[in-house]
Amino acid sequence: MKVENLELPRVEGEARLELFWKDRLIEDARIRINSMRGIERVLVGRHYMDALVITPRVCGICGHAHLIASVRAIEDALGIKPTEKARLVRNITQSLEVLQNHVKWFYLFMMPDFILLEERLRGLYEPFRGERWHIAINMASKIAKGIALFSGQWPHSSYAIPGGITSEPFVKELTSLRQILLELKHFFLSYVVGMEEAEFVKCLKEGSWQKLNGDAGLFLELCHREGLLTLGSSYDRLISGGGLYAPCGYFMKRVVHGRLKVDQIEELNAPSYSGTKPVRYRGMPFETGPLARQLMSGNLMVKSMHKEFKDSFAVRVLARILEVWSIVEVIELWIERLKEVLQEKSTSLGRFPSKATGIGYGIVEAARGTLIHRLSVRNGTIQDYAIITPSQWNLGPRCENFLGVAEKAMVGLKSKLHAQMVLRSFDLCSVCTTH
Amino acid sequence: MRVFWLQRLTCCGNTHSFLNYESLHTLFKRFEFLYHPSLSLKAQEETVEELIKSGEGIDILIVEGAVRTDEVETRELCKIAKYVIAVGNCAVYGNIPALADETVCGLSYRFKERRGLLDKDFKSRGGMPVINLSGCPAHPEWIVGTMLMLAEGMEPELDQWGRPKVFYSSLTHWGCTRNEYFEWKVEAEELGSKRGCLFYHFGCRGPLSYSSCNTILWNEVSSKTRAGTPCFGCTEYDFPRLGLWETKQYAGIPAELPIGVSKRGYIMLSGIAKMFAPERLKGEG
Ligand code: SF4
Ligand code: SF4
Repeated sequence: MKVENLELPRVEGEARLELFWKDRLIEDARIRINSMRGIERVLVGRHYMDALVITPRVCGICGHAHLIASVRAIEDALGIKPTEKARLVRNITQSLEVLQNHVKWFYLFMMPDFILLEERLRGLYEPFRGERWHIAINMASKIAKGIALFSGQWPHSSYAIPGGITSEPFVKELTSLRQILLELKHFFLSYVVGMEEAEFVKCLKEGSWQKLNGDAGLFLELCHREGLLTLGSSYDRLISGGGLYAPCGYFMKRVVHGRLKVDQIEELNAPSYSGTKPVRYRGMPFETGPLARQLMSGNLMVKSMHKEFKDSFAVRVLARILEVWSIVEVIELWIERLKEVLQEKSTSLGRFPSKATGIGYGIVEAARGTLIHRLSVRNGTIQDYAIITPSQWNLGPRCENFLGVAEKAMVGLKSKLHAQMVLRSFDLCSVCTTH
Repeated sequence: MRVFWLQRLTCCGNTHSFLNYESLHTLFKRFEFLYHPSLSLKAQEETVEELIKSGEGIDILIVEGAVRTDEVETRELCKIAKYVIAVGNCAVYGNIPALADETVCGLSYRFKERRGLLDKDFKSRGGMPVINLSGCPAHPEWIVGTMLMLAEGMEPELDQWGRPKVFYSSLTHWGCTRNEYFEWKVEAEELGSKRGCLFYHFGCRGPLSYSSCNTILWNEVSSKTRAGTPCFGCTEYDFPRLGLWETKQYAGIPAELPIGVSKRGYIMLSGIAKMFAPERLKGEG
């Protein structure tokens, strides 16, 4: 048996992939991520408000999701509710973070792999040079600006506080945000799917993913040629904590279940090769993220593709791209509601209680899937802080009974490039995985 | 100029901050990126191997993230670079990753101690010490601005922490929209408002931190204090301090006063300011 140890380029953070070959097929795969920074430990003994500054630093690309998970956990522990205005604004900024992530992920992380298969794609997707590469980066930073309108800055804002938000947004912020969303829609329609809005909406309703043009169409064509439409499946078990545009629930044995019991989620001990703890729901591995959300919310395009190819590489990627549209639509709804409550206060509390005691959970759908924070506070001081990240679900290692989700998806592949691409389809983030 | 971007123990936040720079298109025409871990097609090992074989050096080495005290490869790369930039508080002071681990530090410092990965008198090939761009994260204009100065052959003048004075010689307080409230000692009693200064009740480090957050805005539109969040002093070695949202006080006087202000001066002036504060600054409005 041949063992190959690869360093992975274009990953958030550092990761290595070990492939075990037998008869030219990948027989086993291990993901090694070991760079722990010990963020949970740093929080113990601090005032709970410090978590709002420190947990965003878990991850540079999804720090806002950590902020929202933190503030929800604190509110849960202290029995505080945010104002409706604050709730909507937080939803908006957190969703925008997911949007910038997806744009970057598809154009900067995913598509460049295809250059290794097709030289002619350099002009479009080559890092630092490609035309689409630049347009995408520009779009992503405009989305980040949309976040900063409310949160002061992105990355690493701490504007969400128990009871609400620190800023006092008004009409001006809303109109600027609206412009950014229009630009994003234009970007999505002209580059990502290459269609007029009416035509795209029609295809969505019909579930006809085959008709997609633009970079999504090109992607599907390349997948077809490379045989990637069917490759890279894992357990076809999917889970969503509920958030963004999707309800909570899980998908298993071809059935969607609309309820989720948080107490059935458990972290197991890490095997010796990994610094990451595997996460299981009812003892089983589940994939979390856009594909899970799209199935929960019943996106017909994703559903029809999933029916044909299950949780394959191409389906996973398509679900991530199409989610951009689903999220823009829900943000538009939130803006409409926000207009009605714009006169409300930004926080229900104003001051935070310095001494407080309790245990709380914060659950958020981040770009890569379900993110859970749990904290326990006594007299204002953090006793214990635990974070389960989406990447732990997807990229986490094996347990006694099951391979990790991404590990399983690589078994049976014939090339190391395919293995890397499949891994990337989970939107690999090692900084989150270990934190 | 040839740039090599290295990541160590990091959240990648400085990378994403950098990617917010408005005109990356022209930037990447001026600077050839030999390698960036989140962006390049090739893996790092391959690139480093080729680089060493070719004998061609690096013009700018950018290090993002905290390092371990025994890192050989990072030290080697620093040696072949004309200029070394430490970007973000982790690479400068060790920051969060160093809190829980004694073997973690920045390139030159471990918090305020001169106990980083590189020797005290380290100079890169170009004859400069490490250029420190502190901040969690550093602002894209600070990063790109420093790169551009080097490309123009104008080496930036550094402060006592090795930071370019252009970006780190003024306080976060400069340009904050709450300055008038600070002046007249009208303090925010609650969070969530455009009004009031955050110095007295909410731990704002604006008058105690060197950064240009309120003169070079974030994402071109805002800053922490503009969004009602206190400055946490993320450009200084003691970030993240304990109790980030509180102002420690003794007998009603903040334990730490704005840089250069005496206790006597503060007490006198704030008494008078409060007494004569204009009505329009008080209350809801
Ligand atoms: S909020 Fe902070 S930065 Fe702004 S004026 Fe007050 S002390 Fe200065
Ligand atoms: S306002 Fe303060 S905490 Fe925020 S980025 Fe600037 S220096 Fe850092």
